[in-house]
Amino acid sequence: MTAPSIILVEDDPPLRTLTARALQEHGYQVRPASSGPEMWVAFDAGPVDLVVLDVMLPGTNGIDLCRQIRRKSDVPIIFISAKGSETDRIVGLELGADDYLPKPFGTRELIARIRAILRRVGVERGPDEHRESEAHFDGWSVNFPRRELRSPTGAIVDLTGAEFDLLGSFLSHPQRVIARERLIELSRTRMGDSSDRSIDVLVSRLRRKLSTQEKGAPITTVRGVGYMFNAEVSRA
Amino acid sequence: MRGSLGLLGRLFAILLLTVLLEFAVGTLIYERSSQLYLQDDEARRLAEHLVIARKLLTEQPPEDRRLLGLQLTTDRYDIHWSAAAPPPPPLSPELERMRRQIIAWEPSLEKSGLWLRLTPGRHSEVNGGLRLPDGSWLYFGMPHGGGKWAFTIGRMGLALIPVLALLLAGWVLIRRTLAPLRDLTHATHRIGRGSEVIVPEAGTSDVRNLISAFNAMQARIHRLINERTETLAAVGHDLRTPLARLQLRLEEVRDSDIRDAMGDDLEEMGAMLESLLAFLGGEKDPEPVVRTDIAVSIATVVDAFQDHGRDVSYDGPDHLEMEVRGLSLRRAVRNLIENALHYGHRARVSLLRKDDEVLIRVDDDGPGIPRERLEEVLRPFSRLDDARQRNTRGLGLGLAIVQKAVAAERGQLTLANRPEGGLRAEICLYLPRSATRG
Repeated sequence: MTAPSIILVEDDPPLRTLTARALQEHGYQVRPASSGPEMWVAFDAGPVDLVVLDVMLPGTNGIDLCRQIRRKSDVPIIFISAKGSETDRIVGLELGADDYLPKPFGTRELIARIRAILRRVGVERGPDEHRESEAHFDGWSVNFPRRELRSPTGAIVDLTGAEFDLLGSFLSHPQRVIARERLIELSRTRMGDSSDRSIDVLVSRLRRKLSTQEKGAPITTVRGVGYMFNAEVSRA
Repeated sequence: MRGSLGLLGRLFAILLLTVLLEFAVGTLIYERSSQLYLQDDEARRLAEHLVIARKLLTEQPPEDRRLLGLQLTTDRYDIHWSAAAPPPPPLSPELERMRRQIIAWEPSLEKSGLWLRLTPGRHSEVNGGLRLPDGSWLYFGMPHGGGKWAFTIGRMGLALIPVLALLLAGWVLIRRTLAPLRDLTHATHRIGRGSEVIVPEAGTSDVRNLISAFNAMQARIHRLINERTETLAAVGHDLRTPLARLQLRLEEVRDSDIRDAMGDDLEEMGAMLESLLAFLGGEKDPEPVVRTDIAVSIATVVDAFQDHGRDVSYDGPDHLEMEVRGLSLRRAVRNLIENALHYGHRARVSLLRKDDEVLIRVDDDGPGIPRERLEEVLRPFSRLDDARQRNTRGLGLGLAIVQKAVAAERGQLTLANRPEGGLRAEICLYLPRSATRG
């Protein structure tokens, strides 16, 4: 398999060079661009596996570029923003960006996010599982673009990135026993390499958040094997 | 506005004084003239009666005159005839006017030696006499004044009604005229607590001018503050790009000790920028109110601290849903925990619901805050550490950000030293109605 190609759109020249170098050092092929038009030139230069896109660009800004890309392609997009505001993040994710990284970021963080997304695309985004936006179970609803979980009464329930990915893994394998190791592999996306938390802690936290007074969480432990998600999942 | 009277009271007092003065003087003049008129009337009627009596008496022979006198006597006028010469007329200066009036009406009485006298007593009486052409005398008497006062008081009461109406109208009009000023005062109280308060220009031209000047001043102040805020925020945003460069260049530092130290510095700078932007933000880009499970939010924040090996615990329900600005509330709780860990070693976070109140408590085991500085620490950029003895991170905006977040929820932040030692920071939020789950 050839090295994944990444288009990097960043208007600050030194930062563009530094980021490009960091990506290259981690084995990615990088096509840098400083603006929208350059980005489209880079798109024409060959297949693209991922776009790293700065939100604040001269001319067409990153949000609009993201919208334009989405009309043509499903290529994963990571937003980079100096603003770091919540509205920015939500707008970006709703427009179809796959992740949002506030400045300043370290190489390790950037690489971890890129790897996570590429893995997620490879593992989860099969031909028929195509960018689903919502899932429902037991009255709960999950919004994937916004990475949001809402309770049966409609309240936002905070999940960490790792918890959300774990829930996502459960939701794509409902009513099937999932081995611990497989779950770790599936959910690894967010955990990155910083804190390799025990999957059991994650599961117990998710359980606590998904439990209600009337009903426990729909996650059962299958002794010696792993876990099972015991709820009917409907997707939209 | 001095004293307790205020502008309204003062203007009304002026009105009251003017109207009362006018009333008093007016009444006095009116009373005086009407009294004169009454006297005039009295004199005229007496004059007519006397002329007729004189004429009738003169035409009768003297032996019938006494009887005729009795016949001429009415309820009001007492007439009798006497052939005897009158006693010398005593001086009655207060009746001189009346005498002149009588003569003015009936000049024929001029030559009749008319005299008048006032008999003193409770029912004072005017007596008098006049000479008939044959030298005999006609004596007469009539009551003087009487019952006048009751009449006068009734009339004055009647006259007071328009005065009171005038005062009432004056009060209402002055109040209306001053209403724009009152609005301005209320607006002044609200200024500086959030959004701009535009006072509608109304009232008299001076008040209008004042209000328009006030609005202009307010706009200037807001523009100034906005410019500063935007400048600071822009600097904050712009600093992030060079910071990102530094962060990436860090990888090239070979010496791991230096790299770690620089990494810490960069992290601190990033945290400072983040807290600065959190403090400045929220005005231009307010976070929407969303139904949120705050118990889960707090537990998630606590989990993150635990994952970093910090001694933080959570005690409370698994779920509690409320309409809040989830992000800023989470940041507030995080800031309180960071403070607790900075000044103490552990943080005990608890969430409890008391009727319509939701209490989020963060207790630490630190030294607490001296009572006199409890308020000071809520101010932006204030720090407890004197002379930077301790390794203080951040800009001193932590509690100010908490304060802002809590105020946005119309809640309350209280800091109190616990009797058993340590500080308790408590966020009190109010539930609109029973709106919770679990």
